[in-house]
Amino acid sequence: MMRTIPALAGSLTMALCMAAPAAQAHHSFAMFDQAQTTVFRGTIKDFQWSNPHAVIWVINEAKPGATPDVWTIELTSPGNLTRMGWTRHALAVGDKVNVEINPLRDGQHGGSLKKVTVLATGQVLTSSLIIPGKP
Amino acid sequence: MKGAIRTSLLATAVLLTGGSALAAGDPADRPPTAQEWSALASLPDWSGVWTPDIEDQFAKAHTNAPAWTPKVDAEMKAMAADEKAGNPHGIFLNCLPEGMPSWMLVSHNALEFLFTPGRVTLLGESDGSRLRRIYTDGRTHSPDPDPSFHGESIGHWEGDTLVVDTIAVLPETYIATGEGLGVPNDGALHVVERIHLTAPDTLHDDLEITDPKVLAAPWRTTRIYYRHRGRKNEIVEGVCLQGSFNEAVDPQGHAMFAPVAQDNGNVVPSPK
Repeated sequence: MMRTIPALAGSLTMALCMAAPAAQAHHSFAMFDQAQTTVFRGTIKDFQWSNPHAVIWVINEAKPGATPDVWTIELTSPGNLTRMGWTRHALAVGDKVNVEINPLRDGQHGGSLKKVTVLATGQVLTSSLIIPGKP
Repeated sequence: MKGAIRTSLLATAVLLTGGSALAAGDPADRPPTAQEWSALASLPDWSGVWTPDIEDQFAKAHTNAPAWTPKVDAEMKAMAADEKAGNPHGIFLNCLPEGMPSWMLVSHNALEFLFTPGRVTLLGESDGSRLRRIYTDGRTHSPDPDPSFHGESIGHWEGDTLVVDTIAVLPETYIATGEGLGVPNDGALHVVERIHLTAPDTLHDDLEITDPKVLAAPWRTTRIYYRHRGRKNEIVEGVCLQGSFNEAVDPQGHAMFAPVAQDNGNVVPSPK
């Protein structure tokens, strides 16, 4: 399993986003189930730092014998993420991560990011619709 | 149609005869004086970047919902049920400006205020064209303003409170309580705002929204904003349509934006 993922990540980097679920527009986050949390380990396939929502595509570590899936994970805007301590270099293609998301309600492989941990460095980054700063 | 032609002719007559709204001495026709530039220093300090209180917005959707007309109330209940079921209507999916009053009410993004003589300008972080001009030079509303997403806003200062009167908002622009909950204003919208500091870094926009086509009574509500300073909080460019494209490489090897299929079945069309 662990051998498969880097090889797949390399080939997918060439065909950027071709296999990823559809991206996003300026939508409500009600499509994500805020009452549910899904946690999994995976590899960053791509990180798009763009408005209105930044997006991470993560290749989920599959169970032995299964095909790894690509998950589309949405964040708030780059402006709001910057206020939370992110930069466009916060994640790199190939990073091994642990992600915590509110999943899509319809069961597709996507969600809104709550927390991502970069396993190599231990760095933890969070995303929320609630912007810190209330006095 | 006849009515529209009459209005148009009237407006033309006002233009040709130098009607009262455009009489000599219109503040729009002259440059600001040195005194007017100096007077800006006596206005309240609204510098910095302001982010909305999203939690308060979510709470108010339940505690201070608008009094919709019965027809719209039924539509909104259906939309709310769809949103609760995870199928939000996505009223801003097209990335057109949220417009008035929704920008002030439901945006999740930051804004800033610019003071220049005779004008307060609001700049937002999402939508490439998100900008409001509030004229404070003493003018009255135009006789027949072209409808726009943000309408025609005329303001004046009452002490440290900016009072703003807005008309001529495009009828397709939403009155919204959330990014998946709202109804077009249908062309009868009038918004009066009182924008003021309530604490050193807290700003309130008290809105009174009147729209007999969709509201059974004027809706009075408040949006709360908090001030931030420092480079990491500065407004950045936010082009909503960028999200409709992926970063890719064209056959010649150039960087390009490649259109992507929109959303994944979680968004249902707005009702007709």
